[in-house]
Amino acid sequence: MGTYIVRRLLGMIPMLFLITVAVFLMMHAAPGNAFDAILNPGIKDMAALKQRLIESAGLNKPLWWQYGHWITQFVQGNWGYSFTQHQPVITLIGPALRNTLLLAVMAEIMILAIGIPVGILQARNPYGRFDYVISTFSFVLFSVPYFILAIFLIYFFAIDLGIFPAQGAVGTGPGAGSFVDHVDHAFLPALAIALVSTTVYSRYTRGSMLDVSRKDYVRTAYAKGLSGSLVFRKHVLRNAMIPIVTQFGYDIGGLVGGAVILEGLFSYQGMGLLTINAVNGRDYPVIMATSLLFAVGVLIGNLVADILYAVVDPRIRYN
Amino acid sequence: MVEPLLEIRDLRTYFIGKDVEVRAVDGIDLTVYPRQIVCIVGESGSGKSITSLSIMRLLPQPRGKIVSGQITFGGQDLLKLTEDQMTDVRGNEISMIFQEPMTALNPVLTIGDQITEVLLRHRKLNRRQAISKAVEMLQFVGVPRAAEIVHEYPHQLSGGLRQRVMIAMAMVCEPKLLIADEPTTALDVTIQAQVLELMKKMRRDFHTAIILITHDLGVVADMADHVMVMYGGQIVESVNADDLFARPLHPYTKALMESIPSLIEEKDTLYSIPGTVPDAASFPTGCRFAQRCPLAQPSCFETAPELQQMGPGHLVRCDKVGREGEGVPM
Repeated sequence: MGTYIVRRLLGMIPMLFLITVAVFLMMHAAPGNAFDAILNPGIKDMAALKQRLIESAGLNKPLWWQYGHWITQFVQGNWGYSFTQHQPVITLIGPALRNTLLLAVMAEIMILAIGIPVGILQARNPYGRFDYVISTFSFVLFSVPYFILAIFLIYFFAIDLGIFPAQGAVGTGPGAGSFVDHVDHAFLPALAIALVSTTVYSRYTRGSMLDVSRKDYVRTAYAKGLSGSLVFRKHVLRNAMIPIVTQFGYDIGGLVGGAVILEGLFSYQGMGLLTINAVNGRDYPVIMATSLLFAVGVLIGNLVADILYAVVDPRIRYN
Repeated sequence: MVEPLLEIRDLRTYFIGKDVEVRAVDGIDLTVYPRQIVCIVGESGSGKSITSLSIMRLLPQPRGKIVSGQITFGGQDLLKLTEDQMTDVRGNEISMIFQEPMTALNPVLTIGDQITEVLLRHRKLNRRQAISKAVEMLQFVGVPRAAEIVHEYPHQLSGGLRQRVMIAMAMVCEPKLLIADEPTTALDVTIQAQVLELMKKMRRDFHTAIILITHDLGVVADMADHVMVMYGGQIVESVNADDLFARPLHPYTKALMESIPSLIEEKDTLYSIPGTVPDAASFPTGCRFAQRCPLAQPSCFETAPELQQMGPGHLVRCDKVGREGEGVPM
């Protein structure tokens, strides 16, 4: 198991390198350079000033040198300066990443805590009344675009009932910025993400359970004289969770990127909202940092998926 | 007279769908005595596996249903037991091994887990005792490195070893009856012989009776005391093994024997029975084998033949073959 994880980690290194190169080149390929964006074209000796700045920033050096410089700075936490918000990128990313992670964790908890048990209950009595009701409900919910769902949630929970805030990641007044305050603000966007994914997970769990129930080894378990509930717990459930657990790993990678549209709708100050604003303001240092983090998020998600997969399935562990 | 261990009377197992009724097992009788090896022979779809699953009451749900009959085992009718009582029988008094050793073991549990769960269910043992019993049983069925293998997973073992593990699992509670559903079909020939030998050893050492389901007449010749040939959910011939090979009577049995490749006789093409098994959802009115039968007369298509006594302990479902000694040429 240990060597398996080490192998996976080593495998990530070339991937990570390629991602940084891609992000760097993407930035480099953008028309003009950073100084075109920040210099006032009206000032005297504009061309000479620009030349001096370019030299001091090393933009006249060869590409590989620039890449090496950028990556060493990046690793040291020097992620550059936001053009539009006039702050170091890292101080912008910090809170945004925290907010997005909270949102992701809350959404995942809702998805797993609802989706999997519902799927299991459906599979215990397939084509029964509960199964039909939930299936119908799932299809309806799945068909609703999540931004429409989000607006409905805001209308119902925030405006009509007034139990959850509709906007932002932190409140104002006493208690603002506390953990409870953060959770309170993340609840509605997390619910909006979770509702749709829950239907996917319950559906997926149900299918996987039914699929495993028909396996030969389940029949073997019954032939041993085990009771139905023991067969279910020990033989069906464990095997049925293998694909779910893998899916879960991949999904959390995606969630780290933030739900761009949802964060926009809720004005939730996470990675998604930060990225949209950066793209609108051509804020390249921020875009570079967020793109890199998204990619790393997906990589970590894949790693988690691989590790979880090995935990539940010995066939992977021993290969 | 020895008391029979298992007595099946007029068992009918149907698969009941919305508009169809598939008569997978359509009125069979079967008696198994202690320590006897009974082979059930037939093509795919003849109902032999469903017969065994009926005994275990493990029919595919929700459609599989035993619609009538009696299965008496050790004095009680298995069909009258509650599901709870039935779980006391399974794995304990009647065990089963299946065709595919590759898929019949749970891939995420260790071999030890899978054997001990039978013991923990049926015997008052703690985990440590169960493990040592499992190791002992694995050694008994000829699994090398048994003490290590209990901690390994099925995918680490070969097909032959897995089938030995299956046998160890089935035999660990020393059942009175072992049902083996084509246990050697998926194995290569040398392993096949070893597994069959092992089953004979089980009979010898544990006094277990065996119902062996197979379509391989070579296996029958090697193993059987008594043979039942099934076709279309019915028994077409039932006789002791020696007589079956000496004097097969039913045209279907004869055709099966014709289809065996022979080492002595040179044949350019191997005989195969024309046509396929009739659809169990719509059996013909007359004899179910008539369409493929070389002896078929018009009357065969109209009236279904009954199982008749053709010799001592020799039952045949055919109106066109004579009694023993009269011999009808094929």
